[in-house]
Amino acid sequence: MRLMLVGLTAATMAVPAAAQQAQLRPDQQVFRALYKELVETNTTVSSGSCNLAAEQMAARLKAAGYMDADIKLFPGPAERPLDGGLVATLKGSDPKAKAILLLSHLDVVEAKRADWERDPFTFIEENGWFCGRGVSDDKAHGAIFTDTMIRLKQAGKPPKRTVKLALTCGEEGGPFNGAKWLVEEHPDWIAAEFVLNEGGGGKADANGKPVSLAFQAGEKVYQDFTLETRNPGGHSSRPRPDNAIYELANGLVSLARNDFPIILSDTTRAYFTEMAKISDADTAMAIRALLANPADAHADAIVSRDPGWHSTLRTTCVATMLDAGHARNALPQRAQANVNCRMFPGESVEKVRGQILERLGNNGITVTPRASENPREAAPPPPLSDMVYGPAVALARKHFPGIPLVPTMSTGATDGRYLNAAGMPTYGMPGRFGMPDGNGVHGLNERISVAGVMKERDYLHDLIVAYAGK
Amino acid sequence: MRAALLAILIALSAAQAQGQTRQPGEPAFRALYKEMVETDTSLATGSCTALAEKLAVRFKAAGYGDGDVTLFSTPEFPKEGGIVVHLKGNSTKLKPMLLLGHLDVVAAKPEDWTRSPFKLIEEDGYFYGRGTFDDKAQAAIWADLLIRLKAAGATPKRTIKLALSCGEETTYAFNGADWLAKNRPDLIMAEFALNEGGGGRYGPDGKPQGLAVQVGEKTVQNFWLEATNPGGHSSVPRPDNAITDLARAVVAVNTHEFPVQFNDTTRGYFTTLSNVLPEPVGPAMKRLLANPEDRDADRIVSLDPTNHSVLRTTCVATLLEAGHAENALAQRARANVNCRMFPGTDPNALKADLEGVIGNAKVSVSLKPPVRPLAKAPPLNPAIIGPMRDIAARHFPGVPVAAMMSTGATDAIFIAPIGIPVYGAPGLFLDTDGNGIHGLNERIRVDSLMKGRDYLTDLVLTLANK
Repeated sequence: MRLMLVGLTAATMAVPAAAQQAQLRPDQQVFRALYKELVETNTTVSSGSCNLAAEQMAARLKAAGYMDADIKLFPGPAERPLDGGLVATLKGSDPKAKAILLLSHLDVVEAKRADWERDPFTFIEENGWFCGRGVSDDKAHGAIFTDTMIRLKQAGKPPKRTVKLALTCGEEGGPFNGAKWLVEEHPDWIAAEFVLNEGGGGKADANGKPVSLAFQAGEKVYQDFTLETRNPGGHSSRPRPDNAIYELANGLVSLARNDFPIILSDTTRAYFTEMAKISDADTAMAIRALLANPADAHADAIVSRDPGWHSTLRTTCVATMLDAGHARNALPQRAQANVNCRMFPGESVEKVRGQILERLGNNGITVTPRASENPREAAPPPPLSDMVYGPAVALARKHFPGIPLVPTMSTGATDGRYLNAAGMPTYGMPGRFGMPDGNGVHGLNERISVAGVMKERDYLHDLIVAYAGK
Repeated sequence: MRAALLAILIALSAAQAQGQTRQPGEPAFRALYKEMVETDTSLATGSCTALAEKLAVRFKAAGYGDGDVTLFSTPEFPKEGGIVVHLKGNSTKLKPMLLLGHLDVVAAKPEDWTRSPFKLIEEDGYFYGRGTFDDKAQAAIWADLLIRLKAAGATPKRTIKLALSCGEETTYAFNGADWLAKNRPDLIMAEFALNEGGGGRYGPDGKPQGLAVQVGEKTVQNFWLEATNPGGHSSVPRPDNAITDLARAVVAVNTHEFPVQFNDTTRGYFTTLSNVLPEPVGPAMKRLLANPEDRDADRIVSLDPTNHSVLRTTCVATLLEAGHAENALAQRARANVNCRMFPGTDPNALKADLEGVIGNAKVSVSLKPPVRPLAKAPPLNPAIIGPMRDIAARHFPGVPVAAMMSTGATDAIFIAPIGIPVYGAPGLFLDTDGNGIHGLNERIRVDSLMKGRDYLTDLVLTLANK
């Protein structure tokens, strides 16, 4: 009803509201109501409440039969009290089987009503799309995972593995990160053999036609370094042989010239193996040569022509900002550069720092890692094991016939970095086909295909059931 | 002081070993100097106007009437004011002389300094603080002298004019000397002016080595080097990169040496030096004078950064800025290249030279305004140079005085065009390390300041009475 009222504008009047709404199965209608409630609860860092969203999901879990003891609602810290979340546990039947964790973040990126065509916090269905902030990132997962927990409970007989659900706040840059807090303060609540998370997905073409599915196993780690040179400086009318700017510039030229060594993980090896199958003959030959011998510079040169592949093959470090000098007529006393690194999973900050120093070839340049939210220990890349990857492939064939499933390593970061670092391999789930325009994720008018999210739900439900074991 | 002017010089006349008496009133001078150094007059955080007003109070207390003291500033730049003071002379024939100084100082970041830059700290025989040398040493000496003369009721033959202005250190700031020359030339008109830009230098042994009077100077020209790029997300670096293009260009400019040039002043300067300096420098200077393309001779002479700069146009990158976010590839990277052009150099020809040196069409080179007129070289007037030498012989026996071209620029470029020849006065000695002028931990030897005050007092009184 509310949907109709909100949609009652001149443009939508002509279309009967009923015609806009897809025909749904009864279980899908229940899911839709849960999803709607989650999206319509504002969880932005500026004006939202993750607590409220967590309480709503807790109420639904309890209505499905979960006891108070199965659900831990936790508030945010004193300075961010509304940044809380929940952990729910469905106890498995096999005490020897390890748990699995479903992880999703409740918080969403800011959305200004004035900039959006529609109210970002009203769940709108229109022409086959759900629209609203968070319909994709990350409330589709939050709703599917919560809905799956409800269905597992209602099925009566528990699965073999214990299934845990963690809904947290602060993934999108808020000051308090719930996933990090759980890892540090309550690792027992979330302990699991592996974790299902965002970061995977799939690609569709501009018309929405599915092209490929992505199974994310591993993500590069963001780390900034400050490079600095100092010099006594002096008057610019009397240049001295040594100079802070030239020392830094020489170092940056050298850093840019010397790529970091190639590293292949299970994931990227599988990724390039898939890519070789769909590449032209020369590129395919180079990919195969590189997989056989990562030191093959000629093959590297061909494969790395694609900047995305170049980055997937190695740690990258690139100077993104410069700041030097204090007056036009004075020799610089200090020159600084920010070097932004995307570290290959498993590489430590200290190792990458050493690799930068090696490339600079000048001990006069100091290299200091900037403070970051990253875990202290380098996260090993999650293994592409049959236990996790196998069912994902098998069920993809059933649910998305003809669409290849490609393991990927992402260059961006999710909360998976905290869980990977804590020894819980974390995987980004396939099932959602992003269009080339990005579907408004983090931007305006975020949207997701109604039919698409329903298929994703079916796939992930079956996958979780398969992982949990009967 | 834009010019760091210093060299080893020639003995021209026999030294007169004559003891000098210290000028009286040192406590009052120290108090004045301390107030000047401790008043922040940097462009970003300070106020020249505030210092000019403090000085006006001192001048009036010494007996100057309202008509003798002119405070000036413009509504657009209320903090960048200055002061002009007149001590009237009694001669109807002799024209006024002008003492020129600047109140402003180069910015100083306290976090980079060992001591507070705006606190006068005396330590181990040095005064530390921003402006202790450039230019508050000479400016304080000028102001102190005019205060003492008035308080003593002295009347020189020439009218002595003092102009202390703002904006000398910052190319794009309001320049008080420029403003006076264009708007109030009557206030500063004089037969000649004494300014910063001269000085003296201690040798590596710490003893006075030479004194210099500045006659002529190189011209400043700033250039922007700019590289642009479509940029993108930093997780996927592209093969071309604005920062790398700029870094390569900056390295190329650094590696390039402009050709050796001589003019009359510098040829005379190096000729005399070549006769007194030992192996290998003296003979190398002779070879270089004979053949400016003698690379080996150039290398030997240019080991001294000042010689290196006097011999040629120099260009050095002084500022870098690039990028708009840590996690984005830079769309623009820029460097300021500060060139000191040998007199007679065409800025557009130099731009073409830089483009050739960089050799990358993706890095643009542009001339940054202002493009200033070439400074007029004042004549080597014996009526001025003579007393400078004679008085130096008494105060600094055995220390030679020579005329030389400055590698930097001073406010002389604004004063010279209205017909006032400007001379950089000798007197204040620099150490071989450059004393942190424009840099960190600026300092002056207490002894250099006091002896400079004695010398400059004698010099001004002599020039004002003949």
